[in-house]
Amino acid sequence: MIAQLIDGPLWYFSLTVFVLGVLWRIVMILRAGVKKDLAVPRDGGGAGALRAIFSRFVPERTVRRHGKVQLIAGYMFHLGLFALLFLARPHVDFFAEHITGFGWWSLPYWAFIVAAEVAFAGLIMLWLYRLLNPVTRLLSSADDYMGTVLVFLVMLSGCLALAQSVEALRLIHLFLAELLLIYFPFSNLMHAFTFAFSRGYTGATMGRKGIRA
Amino acid sequence: MLINHRRVLQLLAALLLLLIAFPAFAEDVASSHKPVTVPNPATDLWRAVNPQQLPPAQAAMFPRGGSQVQGVQSGVLINQQGQSWRHFRMKQLLPTGGYLLAGAMLAVLLFYFIRGKVLIRDGESDKKIERYSVYERMIHWFMAFIFLFLGFSGLILLFGRSLLLPWMGPELFSILASAAKEGHNLFGPLFLLALVLMFLKFVIRNIYQKGDLTWLLKGGGIIGEHDVPSNFFNMGEKTLFWLLIIVGGLIAISGVVLLFPVFEQGRGIMELSHVVHAIAAVIMLTVIIGHIYIGTIGMQGATEGMTSGYCDLNWAKDHHSWWAQRCIDEGKVLPKQQSVDGHTDNPDSASREGVQ
Amino acid sequence: MARMKFYCDAERCIECNGCVTACKNENDVPWGVNRRRVVTIKDGEAGERSLSVACMHCSDAPCAAVCPVNCFYTTDDGLVLHDKDICIGCGYCFYACPFGAPQFPEDGAFASRGKMDKCTFCAGGPEEDNSAEERRKYGSNRLAEGKLPLCAEMCATKALLAGDASVISDIYRKRVVNRGASVLDWGVSYQKASLRSSKGMKGKATMEE
Repeated sequence: MIAQLIDGPLWYFSLTVFVLGVLWRIVMILRAGVKKDLAVPRDGGGAGALRAIFSRFVPERTVRRHGKVQLIAGYMFHLGLFALLFLARPHVDFFAEHITGFGWWSLPYWAFIVAAEVAFAGLIMLWLYRLLNPVTRLLSSADDYMGTVLVFLVMLSGCLALAQSVEALRLIHLFLAELLLIYFPFSNLMHAFTFAFSRGYTGATMGRKGIRA
Repeated sequence: MLINHRRVLQLLAALLLLLIAFPAFAEDVASSHKPVTVPNPATDLWRAVNPQQLPPAQAAMFPRGGSQVQGVQSGVLINQQGQSWRHFRMKQLLPTGGYLLAGAMLAVLLFYFIRGKVLIRDGESDKKIERYSVYERMIHWFMAFIFLFLGFSGLILLFGRSLLLPWMGPELFSILASAAKEGHNLFGPLFLLALVLMFLKFVIRNIYQKGDLTWLLKGGGIIGEHDVPSNFFNMGEKTLFWLLIIVGGLIAISGVVLLFPVFEQGRGIMELSHVVHAIAAVIMLTVIIGHIYIGTIGMQGATEGMTSGYCDLNWAKDHHSWWAQRCIDEGKVLPKQQSVDGHTDNPDSASREGVQ
Repeated sequence: MARMKFYCDAERCIECNGCVTACKNENDVPWGVNRRRVVTIKDGEAGERSLSVACMHCSDAPCAAVCPVNCFYTTDDGLVLHDKDICIGCGYCFYACPFGAPQFPEDGAFASRGKMDKCTFCAGGPEEDNSAEERRKYGSNRLAEGKLPLCAEMCATKALLAGDASVISDIYRKRVVNRGASVLDWGVSYQKASLRSSKGMKGKATMEE
C-alpha cells in the first residue's frame, strides 16, 4: 500500500512539484528584470556573463589560500554527488525506466562506491564546517540545515540500500529522495540552477564595464 | 607405495585378531608396547587432504589437492581454521566482547556515582583560551561520526542475532542487518581517511614528554584530589591518541582486507583479519566509552573545547596547567563576552578581496 | 524421519565432474558459483584419489552457528537450507564452513556480495515447493518430487551416494566388505587382485548370504 504510493503517485507528484517549482523560480528571477544600464557599454555583456559562469569554477586566490578545506570538501561533495546521481547504475536504470526511456553509460560498481565515499566525506566536512565555524554558524538558517540533512539522509539511505535486495530500504531511499525533490525548489538547494544566473548577472555587469571578472 | 605382501597379511591377521577377539587385550598391548605402524596408503591420502595437521616440514611433502573448479582454495577439501574461527566468534568474541562493553559502561556509571563529576576547582572564570581550531574540531567530529556509525553498525552485526532478532523478527532484523552491513562497508574507508587526518593534525602534541609518567603514577589527578600538571595533552589523552592510531590502524587495515575479497586471499587470511578486526574494535570501543564519559558528563568544562573551540581558563589551569601558564605568558587569554572574534578565517578580508 | 546425507566413495570417483555439471545444469547455478566440486588429491601421483564435495548438511552446522541473521534452518530430513530473503551476504558462513560449500555470486571490490548460494540437496528453499520463486532462488526441488539429488543420480560410477544415512551407509558397508580388505589397507583391492578369489569374493555384495 505505502510501497505503491511511494513508487507511483508520490513519485510523479514530487517530480511535478520539482519541475514546476524550479521553472517557476527561474521564471520569477528572469521576470524580476534588470534596471536598464544607460552607460555606453565598453564590451559585450554576453561574453562577460559566459566567462563568469565558467571562470568562477576556479576559485579566487584568497579563497584558495584561506578556504582550502571548504574548497576541497566542496568539490569532493559536488563531484561525488553528481557522479552518484547521474552515473550510478541503479540511478541510470531508474531514469531510463521512469523518465527518459533510454539509459546511458554508468560507472562500474567500484567507481560508484568511490564516488559515494568522496561525496560523504565532503558533505560531512562541509556540514561540520558550517556548525563549527562561528561565522558560518551565524550565517546558517534552518533552511541550510534542512537541505544538508535531507541530502545527507538521501545519500545515507541510498548507501544502506546498496545490496539492492531489500525492497524496504529502496523505498526509504526513494521516499526521502521524493521529499528532497518537493523541498528543492523552495530552498537554497536552488543554487544548483541559480548559480548560473547570479554568476551570469555579475559577469554581464562587469563585462559591460569592460572588466574581466 | 610398495607393500610387502606377506607382512601385510601378517599384520592384518594380527590386527583383526586383536580388534575383534580381544578388544580389552588390544588396549593393553597398545599402551604397553610401541604402536603398530600400518603402512596404509589411505592414511597418506587423509594427510594430503589436511596437511595442516602435520608439522610444516612434513606437510610440504604432501601435495595439496586440486580441482577443475576454478576459485580460491577450491582444491582444499577441508578448511580446518573454519572451526577455530567459529569457536573464536561464538565462544570467545561474543561473550567476552559483550561483558567487556557492558562492563565498561557499568564501570563508567559506577565511577560517576562514586567519584562524581570532576568540577573546576575554582569554578568557571570569565576568561577563555582557544583550545582547538575549526579544522581540528572538524577532524575530531568527522572521526567521531564515522567511528560511532561504524561502531553501532558493527555491533548490530555482532550482537544483533542474540539481542535484537528475538524481538524484531527475522524479516525486520534482516533489513536492519543488511543496512548495517552496507553502511559499515561504505563508511569503512572513511575511517582510514579520518585516521590519517587525525594523525597529521595531532601527532606533534601527542609525543610523550617528561612529566607524563608522573601524571600516570598519580592517576591523572582524577582519583586523587589534586590535578597533575600537564601540557596541551596529558598522558591519558596521548595514550588515547596512540591507541586510536595503532589499534584503529589495525581495525582499518584488517577491515580493508575484509572489504576487498578480490586479491585471491584465502579463508585463512580473511578469518585472521576478522579476528584482528573484532578484538581491536572491542578494545577501541571500550576505550572510547571512557573517552566519551570524561568528555561529557564526567568533567565540567571538557566539552566546550571541542564544540566552541575555547576552554575556560580555570579548567585549563586545573587539567593542563603548563599549557595554561604558557598561554597566559603569551597573552592568549581572551575575555568571554565576545563570541565571534579573532578567528583564523577572516570573512571580511576575503569578501573584500573577492570583489576587487 | 530420514536423515539425508551425501557419501562419496574415493575408491570409485574418477573425477569426471559429471556431478558438478549435473548440479549446475539442474539448479541454474549462477556464474562463478559451483555448489559441488571434485577435489583431487595427489593428482598424477601414485595414490591419487578424488572426492566430490558439496554441502555435507552437518548436524551441527558451523554456517548456521555463525550466521549473524540466523538465516539457516534444518529440515525434518536433516538438510541444512538457507533463506535468501534473510541472508545479507556477509560471508561468515563461507569462513566457517569446512567444505567451502557456501559461495557468493560476486566477490568484487567493496564486498559486493550477493546472496549466499549453496547446495540444497536438490530440496529448494523455504518457498512453496516447486514454485517459480523457489526455482529462481534455489533451483530445483527434486526431493519434493520424490527424487534424490541429481549429482548422485547421475554419477556414472556410483561413487557419489545421496539419501537416508542408514541406507547409503549400508551400501557403502557392503562395498567395503566386498573389496575384501577393509579400510585398513585400501591398496589391496587394486594391487593384489588375487586376494579376491582367495577370499572367495565374487565382486558383489553378499549381505543376504
